Amino acid sequence: MDDLYRQIIIDRYKNPINRGKVIGGKNAVKANLSCGDKLEISAKIKNEIIEEVKFEGGGCAVSMAAVDMLCDKLKGMKIGEVMKMSGEEIEEMIGMDLTYSRKKCAYLGLETVKKMIESE
Amino acid sequence: MKDYKKYFPIFEKEKGLVYLDSAATSLKPKVVLDKLMEYYTEYSANIHRGLYPMSERASEEYEKVRGKVASFIGAKSPEEIVFTSGTTAAINLVARAWAENNLKEGDEILVSEMEHHSNFVVWQQLAKRKKLSLRILSLEDFWQEKFGLDKLVNKRTKLMAVAQISNVLGKINPIEKMVAEAKKINPEIRVLVDGAQSVGHVEVDVQKMGCDFFAFSGHKMYGPTGVGALYVCEDRMKEMEPADFGGGMIGEVGIVDSSWAEGVEKFEAGTPPIAQVIGMGAAVDFLMGIGMKNVEEHESKLLEYLLEKLGELEDVLVVNEERHNRIGVVAMVSRVVPSHDLGYELGEKGICVRSGLHCAQPLHNKIGEKYGTTRISLGVYNSIEDINKLVEGIKKIQKDYK
Repeated sequence: MDDLYRQIIIDRYKNPINRGKVIGGKNAVKANLSCGDKLEISAKIKNEIIEEVKFEGGGCAVSMAAVDMLCDKLKGMKIGEVMKMSGEEIEEMIGMDLTYSRKKCAYLGLETVKKMIESE
Repeated sequence: MKDYKKYFPIFEKEKGLVYLDSAATSLKPKVVLDKLMEYYTEYSANIHRGLYPMSERASEEYEKVRGKVASFIGAKSPEEIVFTSGTTAAINLVARAWAENNLKEGDEILVSEMEHHSNFVVWQQLAKRKKLSLRILSLEDFWQEKFGLDKLVNKRTKLMAVAQISNVLGKINPIEKMVAEAKKINPEIRVLVDGAQSVGHVEVDVQKMGCDFFAFSGHKMYGPTGVGALYVCEDRMKEMEPADFGGGMIGEVGIVDSSWAEGVEKFEAGTPPIAQVIGMGAAVDFLMGIGMKNVEEHESKLLEYLLEKLGELEDVLVVNEERHNRIGVVAMVSRVVPSHDLGYELGEKGICVRSGLHCAQPLHNKIGEKYGTTRISLGVYNSIEDINKLVEGIKKIQKDYK
């Protein structure tokens, strides 16, 4: 792992920006059972646009940093665009190529967000 | 301390490799690899069918392993050994070939909370399907070795399924004592022991243990992947019906019905993993060559050093700190680095450990480590230097995350 990006991930894990809960919005929970990561995403969506989004939960540094960065990116995005987002975009966002197992960590945030958008 | 690394060719290619994940799978010694090569280059034929010399030799080599395995684990005869694809398949075979035909609605199965999913979910699902009741031996009871079996075992308890050694705690369970205790209440209780973590690390004697079934994998005892064995004592063997059908397991086949082969063959439908079985035989020879007493001694010396060194680390919690009655399987938690990151970062330094729930979610829920643990597990090839590198690695990574 590139040392600079590694440091960014560790920093983001220790000092998250988007941790918390958006009250009165949509939410969804998803877990990665092989490693124990668990996430809850909550958001306020108006006119198909994500206005506010936060996460709660616990897990490894990569999953937590990735979802924190993802929350930054999601604000102001159309849900249609979010649904089209791919794993590669997550890797680009966190600035590194991921190994087989670590992809699961990094993608958990995006998968939970998609689950939330699809929920009633 | 003796250097066993030289028997494992991987260390020639991967210089400086620190492999501490033997509980997941062990590395393979040259004798095993050579044996696989021997089969594929000298007598690469199917068994039990051809009458030509190559096929006869393959059959002989394959059947010879049955005897080797039988004596290695203390079975009475080779006819008590069924080859499977591994521990999971062996336990599933007991469920389908024995429990399916011998347990009925209202019967009970006793399993423990520390089981690997393969000795837990199999019974949970069978219980659901056949309306059996699944009783749970708690982790606390194991810890104190007060099983309270008088409350859990009754005349309806048909099977007790427990691991000889936990794949997270490394704890060696007193199977012999448990079997005696359970049989005092219900002499008809049958016992399945999951030996995935014990074979290759401690001496195993299925008769002394008093179990009816004993399942283990080849790849965790220095043998190839894709092979394992199930010991079934003579009396239970008579109560088993084939679960897989096809070639190799039949006696006579008619249009309306068929009969089965005599003996263990009826549980080995289809072409078995011939090369892997033969390779597993070489792994048994390898271990017998070193001597199980020496294996145990080597690993327990390393374990003692490992526990001592981990104990000195700040922000590190060792799940089972016991020094006795256990093997070199040590789960730990860093209070600074999440287990997944620790496993990954150690990997970047060429140190292989395992992170996560280790297929034992009920156990992790019970010990309150729902995000998993990092597991360090030893094999004969490990050395004091490996442990020093591990400890230095953990120190460095913890510093970066602080």
